Amino acid sequence: MKKGIENKSFLRQASKTGLLLIVVAIVTLEATALVQYYFSQKGIREEASLRAQSQLESTRLKISAVIDEAETAVRNSVWIAQWSLGYPDSMVAVTRRIVCENPVVVGSTIALVPGYLPSRPLFSPYSYQMPGENEVHYRQLATEAYDYPSQEWFVKPLELQAGYWSEPYVDEGGGDILMTTYSMPLWDYKGRLAAVLTADISLDWLTDLVGNVEVYPNAFSMMISRTGQIMVCPVESLIMSRRAQEVAADMEGGDVFDELNRSMMAGETGNLSLKYRKTTNYVFYAPVEKTGWSMSIVIPDSEIYGGIRRIGMMVKVLQLVGILMLILILRSSIKSQLKFKKLSENKERMESELKIGRGIQMSMIPKIFPPFPERKDIDMYASIVPAKEVGGDLYDFYIREEKLYFCIGDVSGKGVPASLVMAVTRRLFRTVSAHEKSPQRIVTIMNDSMSDMNESNMFVTFFTGVLDLGNGHLRYCNAGHNAPLLVTGQGVRELPVVSNLPLGVMPGTSFQEQETDLACQDGLFCYTDGLTEAENAGHELFGDDRLIALLRSDSLAESQLKAVSQSVMEFVGDAPQSDDLTMLYLRYMNESLPDRAERHLILHNDIQQIPQLAGFIEAIADEIHLDQSLAMSLNLALEEAVSNVIMYAYPEGSDGLVDIEAIIRHDRLDFIITDSGKPFDPTQAPEVDTTLGVEERAIGGLGIYLVRNIMDDVRYERAEAKNILSMTKRIQ
Amino acid sequence: MEVKINQVEKVITAQFIGRLDTPASLEVSRQVQPLIDHADLTVVLDCSQMEYISSSGLRIFLTIRKAASARGGRVIIRNMNEDIRKVFMMTGFLNLFEVEKA
Repeated sequence: MKKGIENKSFLRQASKTGLLLIVVAIVTLEATALVQYYFSQKGIREEASLRAQSQLESTRLKISAVIDEAETAVRNSVWIAQWSLGYPDSMVAVTRRIVCENPVVVGSTIALVPGYLPSRPLFSPYSYQMPGENEVHYRQLATEAYDYPSQEWFVKPLELQAGYWSEPYVDEGGGDILMTTYSMPLWDYKGRLAAVLTADISLDWLTDLVGNVEVYPNAFSMMISRTGQIMVCPVESLIMSRRAQEVAADMEGGDVFDELNRSMMAGETGNLSLKYRKTTNYVFYAPVEKTGWSMSIVIPDSEIYGGIRRIGMMVKVLQLVGILMLILILRSSIKSQLKFKKLSENKERMESELKIGRGIQMSMIPKIFPPFPERKDIDMYASIVPAKEVGGDLYDFYIREEKLYFCIGDVSGKGVPASLVMAVTRRLFRTVSAHEKSPQRIVTIMNDSMSDMNESNMFVTFFTGVLDLGNGHLRYCNAGHNAPLLVTGQGVRELPVVSNLPLGVMPGTSFQEQETDLACQDGLFCYTDGLTEAENAGHELFGDDRLIALLRSDSLAESQLKAVSQSVMEFVGDAPQSDDLTMLYLRYMNESLPDRAERHLILHNDIQQIPQLAGFIEAIADEIHLDQSLAMSLNLALEEAVSNVIMYAYPEGSDGLVDIEAIIRHDRLDFIITDSGKPFDPTQAPEVDTTLGVEERAIGGLGIYLVRNIMDDVRYERAEAKNILSMTKRIQ
Repeated sequence: MEVKINQVEKVITAQFIGRLDTPASLEVSRQVQPLIDHADLTVVLDCSQMEYISSSGLRIFLTIRKAASARGGRVIIRNMNEDIRKVFMMTGFLNLFEVEKA
């Protein structure tokens, strides 16, 4: 339930972060797009403006060329027109010549100022061409229907006393074509204003020229006269029929149109934007000199910005796709984070469970030192350092009936499985040892119990001992564990152990018990191979030699064990601990224990040396006051054992030694006979049946039979290429 | 180890003096050959002065006893001390011999 709430809050937090991320992404993308759009638009607008202005300029130049040609035609004819003032009948020829010689001029007249020539009060001979024809026609303009002196083309030049371009007009007489007229005042030789000389030019080409200006497909051009007369316009019905001012007045938002018209009619150059029917249009305009006309190019902004808007659209679509992908990615990222969080929560839970497990495991083994503060005869210390949170090593000890029961063990493997087996092993030890005094029995029962249910094939190397605190006698049994070290005043050596099988391998395994005696201040250092196999970074092992060099018989158990730990830690350094490390050190401190003594005899493998044994035994018997009968029995047993060695261990004729060691204690004698001959175990000899009759009795086999009968314990061991026969005789 | 062999009519007596240990047995096994040769008679093994016996000594005694058994003679052990008697008992030899005290 709690996890659920935590997950929800995590989800909320992650969603918040995700949302923020998306918002930042959108803002960044949008800002980038806007900046780009703004600068692109600016660039495009400048480009459009340049294009429009260059079109305006080139169109203007083309118009000017025509205008100039017409003006030039008129000026070049001024002299002859002046001349013709004196010969009115020649005037027709003059106008005809102007029309013929100047292709742009479609009509020309010399209109006399009324009254100049008394003979001809109104006179205006007019030569003209019909559109598409080369033939030049003549007409007299001075008719009743046409009052030429009141016409603009006649009045204005006289008034200005300068050349004048008329407002464009539609020539109704000459085929309804759009025309304009350039007129100049004529003075006679006497300096009197005499007439007006004109040249008409058709403006049909103007419509084509201006109308065909195509900056953009949907752009269009217009031209208006100085009075606002519409000269060129895409809407043909407006041409020459309406004035720009009138059109503007009909339109919505006419103010801008008025402003445009005013500026254009004033002959200004410029540009502005016009909004009409929801479309913004850019208008560029410039005047055509001399005529007072003004030309404009109108470009809808959709033309200019169409491209960039399409790009903008695509950018928006891409942005949208990007944001969608971002959302999807965020979503899956949040999901995977949630998963990861769950995993690490699981890990945390397992770690905390392992920690609890470690606590439980540590509480199973005695950890309070000194463990027996009231006792002066035992000095103990132990430590266990698992490689992981929980380990498979164990030790245990307690005192029952003045005997110290102790054990050390190492479960194969590490971690949780090993720790479970460790717990079982430790429990079994307590249960079994509660009513078994013999280490061999303890180990045998434990092994049978563990082998029975050992489905996971885990086994335990195990060493257990029972130390009689009264006399230092140690009985022990080893189940595949490494040999403990015996620390005495004479030095450090391995406790002789029969290796045996580890616990849990096979039910019914028989284990061999061994025994020894500890003197006062003798120590037994038990450990697991995590100690001697501790590795440093260079994969070097700590090893037996380093350990043995550290052990001193006069060190207290606690300081000794801590010194070993310290040394291992320094040796290993930063390398990870590879195996559980456990040590158990017990020192026997019973000062009331009588010292033991050792006697030695070394014989050659010569049967004739046998009698020396009698003296050897006699000396010992005297020393400890043995009675003659027992001395003789011991002599007999020793002789049988030694002569066995002499006769069987060494090949005939070769030289060899037999080492006889006697260890004298207050309650027992130990004889240890060692030789380097071929392996020979006399304890394996068949039993002699002493109940048989004379005929059936065998001659041999009596020797070992006697040894067995005389001694309380006989053990054979083969070690380091030596036969070791140990015999014990209890005394008193 | 000294062995004194003395024959009076049909009784042949061997007196063992000293320790009948393993090296001594090598010599003694040759010395007692007359006893084996006369195993049809009564053989008396006088142990009154025997101090010690090992299994090799016991083997010599058993060899003599087996010969007597085969030839229909008697073997009498006389005057063993307590320690040697214990060895005989331990090995079941007391049952194989006629044992007499002085």
